[in-house]
Amino acid sequence: MCRHLIPKAAALCCCTALLASCGRAETSAAVRPDGNLDECTLRFSWWGGDDRHEATLEAIELWNELHPEIRIIPEYGGWDGWTEKINSQISGGNAPDVMQVNYDWLVTLSRDGTGFYDLGDLGNYLDLSGFDSETLSFGMINDRLNAVTVSMSGRGLFYNSQVYDRVGAEYPATWQELLSLGNTFSNYGCYPIDLDIQSGGTAWYLAVVYVQQQTGKTFITMDGELGFDISDIKMALDFYKSLEDNHVIRTVRQRSDEDGSSALYQSAEFIGGNVGGVFEWGSAIGKYEAVLDENVLECGPYLTDGNGNSSGWMIKPSLMYAISSSCAYPDEAAAFMNFLLNDSGCAEILGTSRGIPASSYARDELEKSGHIDGLSKQSTDMLLELDTITVSPYMELSRMKDFYNTAIEQISYGNTDTETAASEMYESIKNYLEKLKS
Amino acid sequence: MKKNYSNPVGVSKYTGLLLTSPFIIGFLVFILCPFIMSFLLGLTDYDYSGSPDFIGFGNFREMFSNSEFRNSALVTLKYAAILVPLKLIVSLFTALLLSLEIKGIGFFRTAFYVPSILGANLSVVIMWQYLFTGGGLVNQLLELIGFSPVSWYGEPSNAMAIIVLLRLWEFGSTMIIFLNALKEIPTELYDAAKVDGCGKIGSFFAITLPMLKKTIFINLILQIIAAVQEFNAPYMLTKGGPLKSTYTMGMYIYDEMFVYNNVGYANAVSWVMFAALAVIIAAMYAVSGKAGRSVR
Repeated sequence: MCRHLIPKAAALCCCTALLASCGRAETSAAVRPDGNLDECTLRFSWWGGDDRHEATLEAIELWNELHPEIRIIPEYGGWDGWTEKINSQISGGNAPDVMQVNYDWLVTLSRDGTGFYDLGDLGNYLDLSGFDSETLSFGMINDRLNAVTVSMSGRGLFYNSQVYDRVGAEYPATWQELLSLGNTFSNYGCYPIDLDIQSGGTAWYLAVVYVQQQTGKTFITMDGELGFDISDIKMALDFYKSLEDNHVIRTVRQRSDEDGSSALYQSAEFIGGNVGGVFEWGSAIGKYEAVLDENVLECGPYLTDGNGNSSGWMIKPSLMYAISSSCAYPDEAAAFMNFLLNDSGCAEILGTSRGIPASSYARDELEKSGHIDGLSKQSTDMLLELDTITVSPYMELSRMKDFYNTAIEQISYGNTDTETAASEMYESIKNYLEKLKS
Repeated sequence: MKKNYSNPVGVSKYTGLLLTSPFIIGFLVFILCPFIMSFLLGLTDYDYSGSPDFIGFGNFREMFSNSEFRNSALVTLKYAAILVPLKLIVSLFTALLLSLEIKGIGFFRTAFYVPSILGANLSVVIMWQYLFTGGGLVNQLLELIGFSPVSWYGEPSNAMAIIVLLRLWEFGSTMIIFLNALKEIPTELYDAAKVDGCGKIGSFFAITLPMLKKTIFINLILQIIAAVQEFNAPYMLTKGGPLKSTYTMGMYIYDEMFVYNNVGYANAVSWVMFAALAVIIAAMYAVSGKAGRSVR
């Protein structure tokens, strides 16, 4: 009898241990700060374009020179697939110690505020006096500071000046001007702008700005309430369709055919000058600049309705830094994060590769040295003049982007009308937001 | 007379266990444990945030009412139904050609095999983009011979075709298995058939195909498993588009698991995929066993 019991008991123990280990990463207590900087090796991960990679690697070199006892191992790559990588690292209990995180990750990975280390406990080495309370509030969940905003940024329109010179067109200032540009550009076989529908959901963002400006509503509120009704969503989809119909942007089919699975900034159409403009976060515009000749890309005005209404444009914490909840060296990680956020030497190296720094120390340093310039600065300065809306982290969730992209693809291919697509999208978003809160 | 052999390892009742322990430990840690854990996770609502709550078969019920799941299952079936027969035919035909003992045949065998070890990696994807995007080589060639350019990436059915083509191009492993089996067929059978007046095509159907029955069956099983699990090619080439026409179950599981953080649900879908594959293969074995017995 004993011979039969032993394997059964072993199997039961194995199953119990496996089930219990599902929540291991979350239930294990975080290492408390001890107030000392010990010798250690930390991993720091970020995503971005080559400009950001080069600047960050140089900053890490400076850190390693100044603090040889705390060695930093960089982990970096492009945005595509980065969320998946971080999710698998976190679930496997193998997250990098210091991470560049996206705004919506706080909703998905730290719903109760315990997903990342509470930075409020690391005041010995992390100086947050350079941040205003509103900026810090973006990283706060359940009174725990999960992440610190690196920069605030908004999506703006950036144009290839060579293409516009060739066509002899001015950068549009109103929605109507943008729509009428399509005709001019079609004579030259090119497009005034293009909108990516893949990972960033860019096309939907521009449509949302248009509707927010027209209606004064907010698409999704900060606490995850859907502010648009079906008619607003239909208006946004109609606007998107009018961009395609007026030759302002390429259709989804054209984009797929011409670019394959390449991102817009890597596509031959953008690099070759067949696409005259992009709609991108100010903090990420460097990757578009890098593939064109120097100073060719220029920041255009934020579009208005022609009657002085420039509202509806959106701003958000473009990037944030967080420390893993399983970090074994929180003091050291905090010191490194402080270096990235506030150190003058580091600020000089990083420049505006992550947008205009939110830390006043880094920003002052860049202003003093005259290094705070470029498209990111111009775009942010223009945004600050407008009545902006803060992007809800719920708007950025991957599942939501799937809803936007599905609707846009369907109407672009003519598989459905905007009314049906709007109705389906409204239901999907509403149900998903309700599920998230339940 | 019984002979005693000395054993330098020292035979004891644990020696066998000791020698096989690397495999047993590897199997337990890297196969059996994740296998069981995956099933357990499939019974929870785990989403990386907080602890998993047991929800029984809730994920399985949700799955069958989910249109995305149904779409991905249909796409996978369609993909497998197109690719598997094509790949078997192309592999067998090429293996027949490469079984000819002519000068320099080794070069051709290597050349046909190489693509199968490349997989759907970045360089292959870049090559495919150069071939099939709007102004790519394939469209240039089509225009040269008077045809209209084809919307490869933009048209749902064509997007499926370029993925099938990629995997079809990588037929080397299947071909090598056929090639090996072809060499095992006794040449006397062909000689006898020749004497009886049987032509090459007749020999193929009367001798080659029946003799390759088991190899075809094994290749069929291997190709079905690979096709149902397809992930890399659509992920790298089309991202599942356009209109989710290349959104396979592999991609669906990946997205649910890593993009939408729906860990419990993704594991449940994996188990359904596993169960479906197991049923298909068991049915095939059962049918082939019956067929074998009826022939005897």
